[in-house]
Amino acid sequence: MHINGIYMDSLASYTELQVTSNFSFLRGASHPDELVEQAAAHGHSAIALTDRNTLAGIVRAHAAAKKTGIRFIPGCRLDLLDGPSLLALPTDKDAYSRLSALLTTGNLRAEKGECHLYRADVYAHAKGIIFVVVPADRLNQLFDYDDGFYAAAREYRDAFGDSCYLAACRYYRGDDAKHLYRLSALAGETQLPLVATNDIHYHHPDRRELQDVLTCIREKCTIAEAGFRLHPNAERYMKPITEMRRLFRQYPNAIVRAQEISEACRFTLDSLKYIYPEEITSEGRTPMEELIHLVRAGARQLFGENIPARIETNIRHELDFIGQMNYPAYFLTVYDVVRYARQQGILCQGRGSAANSTVCYCLGITSVDPTKFDLLFERFLSAARNEPPDIDVDFEHERREEVMQYVYNKYGRDRAAIVATVTQVHQKGAIRDVGKAMGLSLDTVDRLAKSIWRHDEVLNDARILEQGLDGYDPHLLKVLDLTRQYIGFPRQLGQHTGGFVITKGKLTDLCPIINARMEDRTNIEWNKDDIDVLGFLKIDVLALGMLTCIRKAFDLASRHYGVHWTLANIPQDDPAVYAMVSTADTIGVFQIESRAQQSMLPRLRPSCFYDLVIEVAIVRPGPIQGDMVHPYLRRRNGEEPVSFPSKELEDILGRTLGVPLFQEQAMKIAIVAAGFTPSEADELRRSMATFKAQGQVTKFKRKLIDGMTRNGYSAEYAERVFKQIEGFGSYGFPESHAVSFALLVYISAWIKCYYPDVFVCALLNSLPMGFYQPAQLVIDARRHGVGFHPVDVNHSQWDSTLEAREGKYFTVRLGFRQVDGIKEEDMLLLIAGRTQAYDTVQALQDSGLSAACLEKLADADAFRSLGLDRRQALWEVSSLADRPIGLFRGTDSESKFEKGIDLPAMALSEHVVQDYASTSLSLKAHPVQFMRERLRNLGVISASEMMSRRNGDFVKVAGLVLVRQRPGTSKGVVFITLEDESGQFNLIVWASVFEEYRKEILGAKMLMVQGHLQIEKEVVHVIVQRCHNMNRLLVAEAPERGAEPVVRVAAKTMLEAKQASLFPEARNFK
Amino acid sequence: MGKRFLSLWFRHLTTDYMTIRRPELHHIPFVMAVPDHGRKIITAVNAAGRKEGIDAGMVVADSRVLYPTLEVVDEQPGLAGKLIKALALWAIRFSPVTAVDPPDGLLLETTGCDHLWGGEEAYLTAILGRLEAKGYHIRAGMADTIGAAWAVARFGQGNNILPSGQQRSALLELPPAALRIAPDTVDRLHKLGLVTIGPVAGFPRRALRRRLGPELLLRLDQAFGIEEEVLTPVQPVEPYLERLPCLEPIGTAAGIGIALERLLERLCTHLRDDGKGLRESVFKAFRVDGKIMETRIGTNRGSNHVAHLFRLFEEKIRNFEPDFGIELFTLDAPKVEEVTPLQKTLWTGACGTDDPRLAELADRICNKLGPGLIHRYLPAEHYWPERSYSEAGTFEAKPASPWPTDRPRPIHLLPRPERIDVAAPIPDYPPMLFRYQNRLHTIVHADGPERIEQEWWIEGAQHRDYYTVEDETGARYWLFRSGHYTGNHAHQWYLHGFFG
Repeated sequence: MHINGIYMDSLASYTELQVTSNFSFLRGASHPDELVEQAAAHGHSAIALTDRNTLAGIVRAHAAAKKTGIRFIPGCRLDLLDGPSLLALPTDKDAYSRLSALLTTGNLRAEKGECHLYRADVYAHAKGIIFVVVPADRLNQLFDYDDGFYAAAREYRDAFGDSCYLAACRYYRGDDAKHLYRLSALAGETQLPLVATNDIHYHHPDRRELQDVLTCIREKCTIAEAGFRLHPNAERYMKPITEMRRLFRQYPNAIVRAQEISEACRFTLDSLKYIYPEEITSEGRTPMEELIHLVRAGARQLFGENIPARIETNIRHELDFIGQMNYPAYFLTVYDVVRYARQQGILCQGRGSAANSTVCYCLGITSVDPTKFDLLFERFLSAARNEPPDIDVDFEHERREEVMQYVYNKYGRDRAAIVATVTQVHQKGAIRDVGKAMGLSLDTVDRLAKSIWRHDEVLNDARILEQGLDGYDPHLLKVLDLTRQYIGFPRQLGQHTGGFVITKGKLTDLCPIINARMEDRTNIEWNKDDIDVLGFLKIDVLALGMLTCIRKAFDLASRHYGVHWTLANIPQDDPAVYAMVSTADTIGVFQIESRAQQSMLPRLRPSCFYDLVIEVAIVRPGPIQGDMVHPYLRRRNGEEPVSFPSKELEDILGRTLGVPLFQEQAMKIAIVAAGFTPSEADELRRSMATFKAQGQVTKFKRKLIDGMTRNGYSAEYAERVFKQIEGFGSYGFPESHAVSFALLVYISAWIKCYYPDVFVCALLNSLPMGFYQPAQLVIDARRHGVGFHPVDVNHSQWDSTLEAREGKYFTVRLGFRQVDGIKEEDMLLLIAGRTQAYDTVQALQDSGLSAACLEKLADADAFRSLGLDRRQALWEVSSLADRPIGLFRGTDSESKFEKGIDLPAMALSEHVVQDYASTSLSLKAHPVQFMRERLRNLGVISASEMMSRRNGDFVKVAGLVLVRQRPGTSKGVVFITLEDESGQFNLIVWASVFEEYRKEILGAKMLMVQGHLQIEKEVVHVIVQRCHNMNRLLVAEAPERGAEPVVRVAAKTMLEAKQASLFPEARNFK
Repeated sequence: MGKRFLSLWFRHLTTDYMTIRRPELHHIPFVMAVPDHGRKIITAVNAAGRKEGIDAGMVVADSRVLYPTLEVVDEQPGLAGKLIKALALWAIRFSPVTAVDPPDGLLLETTGCDHLWGGEEAYLTAILGRLEAKGYHIRAGMADTIGAAWAVARFGQGNNILPSGQQRSALLELPPAALRIAPDTVDRLHKLGLVTIGPVAGFPRRALRRRLGPELLLRLDQAFGIEEEVLTPVQPVEPYLERLPCLEPIGTAAGIGIALERLLERLCTHLRDDGKGLRESVFKAFRVDGKIMETRIGTNRGSNHVAHLFRLFEEKIRNFEPDFGIELFTLDAPKVEEVTPLQKTLWTGACGTDDPRLAELADRICNKLGPGLIHRYLPAEHYWPERSYSEAGTFEAKPASPWPTDRPRPIHLLPRPERIDVAAPIPDYPPMLFRYQNRLHTIVHADGPERIEQEWWIEGAQHRDYYTVEDETGARYWLFRSGHYTGNHAHQWYLHGFFG
């Protein structure tokens, strides 16, 4: 009776145990959530996920199952190197951990993306796991399985005992009956029970076409060539229970078994508990005691014995909150990493929701003084959302690897690993892959890819027609349709930029570990969102170039000025620094050196730390798209009264004069004014970031605007808030991050203000970084009174260095790193051999340098201390191949006796061009200086003359093109920065003018423009009306015909050498 | 009199070629490009494109920034080489010593040729006229040396004919790049400020050799005519054509046979030497009265087997009517292919399609009864039965994949499935009986269904459920139902084949 009871019950229900999602890359054609939803819709009682040798998709399936109320069974399909595949379904937590450890073993012994497993590995990890043997899907010529399969099945049975089953599947290949007959015979003989599966590859039969295309992409063939590599039919979809029962009507027990296994697998991901590592406490203290101890010690160090009352209140308040939320271990973990960095002298700075707290200040995680702004801790850490705190720590980019290896070494690779990033298929990649698989010509695929401008754009039929393709061609429409389905599929597991998960026990108990592409790195299979779902905590160990620069500046300052600065002891609120920043004198300063920032600074005139926070956040897509910048400026300048749309928004917007500028504010408005729940608001922001969820965005938009108008806000205001959130989607920039960045802004500005020599030297040694080329950094430093010496074989080091003090500042000696094409180890040889000054080229060669290397040095004009200019040096260097050797070593080289050779002397202008070609800057002169005469004849005025003209004046100006930009927010407007010998200036080119002069603007290295001056509060722009390519002036210096190619070649080299950096946004022009 | 050389420089070789083939490209900017590390690099630009600031060496994506609707033509690898070779062969009409000058030039030794056109001026005009009429842009230079001709073609103004002995003075004004030296050396000369050949030629030779290597001096000497330089002319490819003129007109069938055999022997020796075999051959007889008789044969695989070929012709030359006699026989092989020589002893051992005797038998049958009688099928990787095989064109063709053995297929597949009426339980159980050509078959055994979906990228229609069935007489059939019973689709049963 009892058995009958189960029987009846089980027949009413079904669980699919063999499910391949798109996390088996290029095999499964449905997302895990689609599969789960389909199973739920069919009334299946549960669903398993068995991707190939991976657990990467199970968290998504788990989350989807929770939403739909179906039970989810995590599992995987083990593809072995020496036996038939097995479905592995853990019955409890320990079994799950063993499965995860098994996969880790396979992953770590293989290259990234592969997993090498053998039967023996599986036997060693088998306890508590139910295995289902997957037979081959084809029979041999005798209509039977190969002997090897029978042998393997018996061996599996012996190894796994009762936990082993045999999968039976209806493939619809014409021999299903034979399959089932053979399997049931085997089942009878071996006592391996038969279990029904449907080897799911997609949730709906319509996905078969996409699955075929995926097969083609995987096999690198076109659909026409794919042949038998494709499935013959569309039967691999999720089927209703009644259909499964019909298919197995002759083997009803197989259906019962599936249910039996499903009932046995009660393990759920919810039971995984994240536990912090133990090493973070000392002397037997609990984490909370340890945190209090460290915070107290830190506070005493910072404030002395008399801690200010306000600080004391904050500390108490925050510690209470941390205790209540049970977060002390998290803070201690972050502290541990920061402490190590500080011991090693690596600069770091925390940012993120919890980083700008008094506690973090006391722990040294941040150097932002919490009294600088008046924020309640809960503003960052919302208890209601019950979200784990988030602290990202930036480290010097050159030394971050040390910190990462510290984490690996301290906790071990089995306990610490980097979070994965699941790379998704983007539009361009999708259309390329699908187009190729569908057999389109490379040319057509290219055109299709070209028709997609930006990755967030939906495929647009009009664009396709524009490309000259037939928009009604059914084959092309099929390609587009499949592409749309394919977009957003996971493509590979990458490495997160620096998010670490550290646990108390083995990390492999929670999730398999895989090798990363980079040496010495390992990461887990789950990404940030998966981690969030399960409530694991991660800390972000990130790299920041500016920290490297600041550390180098601190080192230089202590060596040459004898002052020891740290991020914390730089004098704060220095009016001189704000004065400098307000005049946009910010070349090289962190974050606020760009053209857009520079034109904002004189309007905003920052005068305190919080102004810098706003400055950092305001020139971002969010506020710009939301049209919040101008209202803020007007209010700040008192041109518009500060008012609030409602009382409730006053709390949120008070600090920014009633204008929402930060991400947090926009989210809060959604909650307070439009009635979103906090998690909905977060989902809204996330859906903006992922281009796949187009439909969701529209849904949210309606909800936000309806909600706000219902609560009495104007539709127009609601629209702006939505636009702003849209802008945040791709470049989320919350206040908590802006605060941390503002500190680095202030510190870099302070160094620039007081030690411009140190600043420029440190910047040159940290390149590539920031917005400007070495030439602009040097010109700017010279303008501030810093002297420079050129690269020289007798004086330079690899890095730029400070030499003797002349007047206020030390003179900078450019380093060899400035010279194009030179290797550091060669220069270390040169420096090591420089026991006394080199006096001949031969002596340099004796230090072990190759002729090619010396030629590069000659190109850089680095032989002046030997009395040779670059041309003479090259003449000398080129004869080195023919030096007396062996017996004649030491005798005079033949060069000494050569007579009658007069190399033509080089003009200064030629030298300058060559300097640019080799070192991308020249200390001798500015290139535009040589053409000033001719420019004047054309009526062109210089940058300095332009500053004395008035608003609306018609001017003609010319200069080297430094930057061309077409920001996404500018509606086609192009911004160009030019430079002449007297300074830099900015051009604005309207879209229509740009289209007319596209060729000139994009082709010119030297550009001349005519237009009207626009002067607004010290910010000067030229509104361009006409453009001329003046590249010929760069070459016109040499009068004779024959000489022309020299300079042309040089100019071209110069162009090429700098193109990459001068043209950073080139992609925008497409 | 010394030698004279002509250098022709096709300034836009590949783009001119494309414009000739696609005249609509003439006025729109277009480029030729080749893929390189996932990008496309421009190899050539037409005049309209250059006007837009686009240069060879740029990445296509970057050039599209300059000119968004830029036309891009994929360049087949080796195109320039093929073109220049063809042009060199064409130019043989102007001089027997014609050489290619990669990547985009021709060199002709014109010594003693120009007078046929009435002097160098007219000679050059004739050549340029012909090439320009084709649509090529050319620069030409004539001089005593190859080097000087090359230099003035590329770096002189217009088309230059340097009078004899003037190469030195003409070259001194030109930049070093005119010397055909490595770009590195040109670069270095420029860096040293040596921007014309003049000062370079004036420097002590030792100093130059030490610093810039021997190539520079060699090129200087060649251009000035101090060092001899020879051309390697292109040869026209010899066709497989044999001629047999007869002293006395041949009037008998035996005579024709002997002529054929001689010609075959010669042609086959020639073919064997080149590792070739003929697939097509034409035998012509030129009669004294001016009438030409011809006959052609074809083979199934490349053959240079005299006896076999003779047999193929034998049948056909019977109806040659010598009449007053034949004075010339020719044997031509317009279509040949590579053959791997077989060792004689192996011939007897080979079997199946590897046995040349099988191919020769097929040749004989086809020659006798006409083509299209013998078919050979190979498996094609398609599930859809009508597309699961393909006809092989040659005896050499090997199956790309083995015949599938896991799914039995009827020995006789009907070219078109034929409609039948069945009685079958739904939804997808095998039928119980069917009526075909007015006969009722009761099914006693059945296997299936084998569900085969349409190859959706070829055509979209209903899937088929195939069943292998056996009737009461033991005959086996392959039946299918098109479409599901359920849904709105119509369904129909068909018979598609017979098992043996």
